[in-house]
Amino acid sequence: MLVLAITFKSTAQERAVRFIDAEGQTLAEIPAHHQNDQVYLPVDAVKQVIDPRATHQYNHPRKRLTLKTKGRQIRLQMGRSAISIEPDGQTLTLATPPITIAQQPMLPVDFFRQLLPILNNVEVIYNPNLNKLQIRSKNTWTPGETDNLQNWTIIIDPGHGGSDDGCTSSTGIFEKNIVLALAQQLQKRIKQQGIQVHLTREKDTNKTHFERIQIAEQNRGQLFLSLHCNTSFSPHEKGIRIYLNNPKGRIRFPSPTQPALIGQQLKVLAQVNFLKQSQDFAHALQTELNFLTETPIKTINLPLIALSEAYMPAVVLELGYLSNVEDLEKLSNAEYTENVVQAITRALQRYISSINQQTAPTAPEE
Amino acid sequence: MIDKQKITTAPQTQNGEKGQKTVKHNNSAGFSRLLVIWGLTLIVVGIGLGVTLLLIERSKLTVIPVAPPPLPTAANPSDTPPPPQEVNLFLLDATTLTLVPIKIERRLHTDDLTKRLDQVVTALIQETPPNFRNTIPRGTELNEAYIDNQQTAYLDFSSHLTDGHIGGTTAELLTVTAILKTVFDAFPDHIKQVQILINGEEIKTIAGHLNLSQPLQLPQ
Ligand SMILES: [Zn+2]
Repeated sequence: MLVLAITFKSTAQERAVRFIDAEGQTLAEIPAHHQNDQVYLPVDAVKQVIDPRATHQYNHPRKRLTLKTKGRQIRLQMGRSAISIEPDGQTLTLATPPITIAQQPMLPVDFFRQLLPILNNVEVIYNPNLNKLQIRSKNTWTPGETDNLQNWTIIIDPGHGGSDDGCTSSTGIFEKNIVLALAQQLQKRIKQQGIQVHLTREKDTNKTHFERIQIAEQNRGQLFLSLHCNTSFSPHEKGIRIYLNNPKGRIRFPSPTQPALIGQQLKVLAQVNFLKQSQDFAHALQTELNFLTETPIKTINLPLIALSEAYMPAVVLELGYLSNVEDLEKLSNAEYTENVVQAITRALQRYISSINQQTAPTAPEE
Repeated sequence: MIDKQKITTAPQTQNGEKGQKTVKHNNSAGFSRLLVIWGLTLIVVGIGLGVTLLLIERSKLTVIPVAPPPLPTAANPSDTPPPPQEVNLFLLDATTLTLVPIKIERRLHTDDLTKRLDQVVTALIQETPPNFRNTIPRGTELNEAYIDNQQTAYLDFSSHLTDGHIGGTTAELLTVTAILKTVFDAFPDHIKQVQILINGEEIKTIAGHLNLSQPLQLPQ
């Protein structure tokens, strides 16, 4: 009996749905029931994540559930996708109907995905693979800020290219092609936000590090995002990594002692001036991309050639390991890459609004 | 240099002993036969002695060009080349994905720092015990090792270090860290930073991510 209880508990925890906030902090972790590839939560979850004062009535014979929350009545019929919200007179269609499990009404995750924005005026994104549901305040772009967006120029640098394939998967997929495709997808998405975007290469061509930085500076880039894929000596290593150009990282340049080195050293140090902002952008990327990953993404400081002499905040984003089967599969999946593009776009918005907030009170408008 | 002379003379004495053993086995033969064998043995021993003396004479005058170690294991304690020393090679533990020191024994040059550096880095390139991964592309060669008066070690590798590298920042960082850790561990008092060269030239990077244009250190 005891053993049974323990096993039950552990499986319930394992398959819990995690509600997280915009920073990735856990708001609630609710044990879920999995049936026919669908995830269901008990009605009490409404109290935990929508409204602690919510009440409900369940009519067993008719299998009808009525929820009262925030001055509204929400009616559901078990086995039916349509739900009605009074007094709004609104009708929603759930992707999966509510069902009864052990005679108790159970709500599909989609109920929370759809109802939370209506009832709590928030945005919700759901990661079905990891059972993570993120609740974030509604996109806060005010018209004033949109003006500022148009002044922003982002440089996206698809790594390698031409004769330089970057790393190669055992199935013959090249890093240079994955990063170019994602960069183009990202460019399209960011432009929709009114932000200007330039790629350091538009095609499968060789570009030196110097040429890439030149393109960034000619276009007056304010942020440099270099896209790469990773490789490890072990097929088990996986996940997204973020790298910052820091000459005092895991390997480091010696402090200048010889006069001959000082000129070179100054260039390196000039880039360090952007380290704080680069860290802010890395943190924004980390927060947004963590939503797509099982384990938190690491940010690693290193002297990086791709970012050396980039006189602007700059980050290398390694999208995944081509030496890992799971990562390779993800990067070949259009849905996943679209999620990555969305997460990077949200990270950009987050970063830009943090910079705008930092500069707004002090800097007078030109 | 002294060590090398000892090494070259050692095999000579071993040969002499073998010759004497053959004689003992033929003890039961006839008297005339014994005389012939005695005669032959005397000639062989004579020639052997002569050659040995000649070699000793020559070795006093000139330096015999002999390939550096691996050295033969010495049978005679008084004749030993430098004793084997423990060296830590930093190799990748395939399960923990970390670089771990693997102890090996090498007869290292005692008087020549540059040669010793060459030996340690060459060992790092060549050794791959089971369950460990070498982070240096197989087939890479060390062209030259050099230490300047600023305690900077220059390691000049063949271009295979770049051409044969699997790529990716993680792998590139492991390759460089393995080299740095191995060198700093073996020469704590003599080497403060390491610059990686390819075919005698300074390089920007190995696989397109790390900036290797300067000498490198590890965080304390
Ligand atoms: Zn790359």
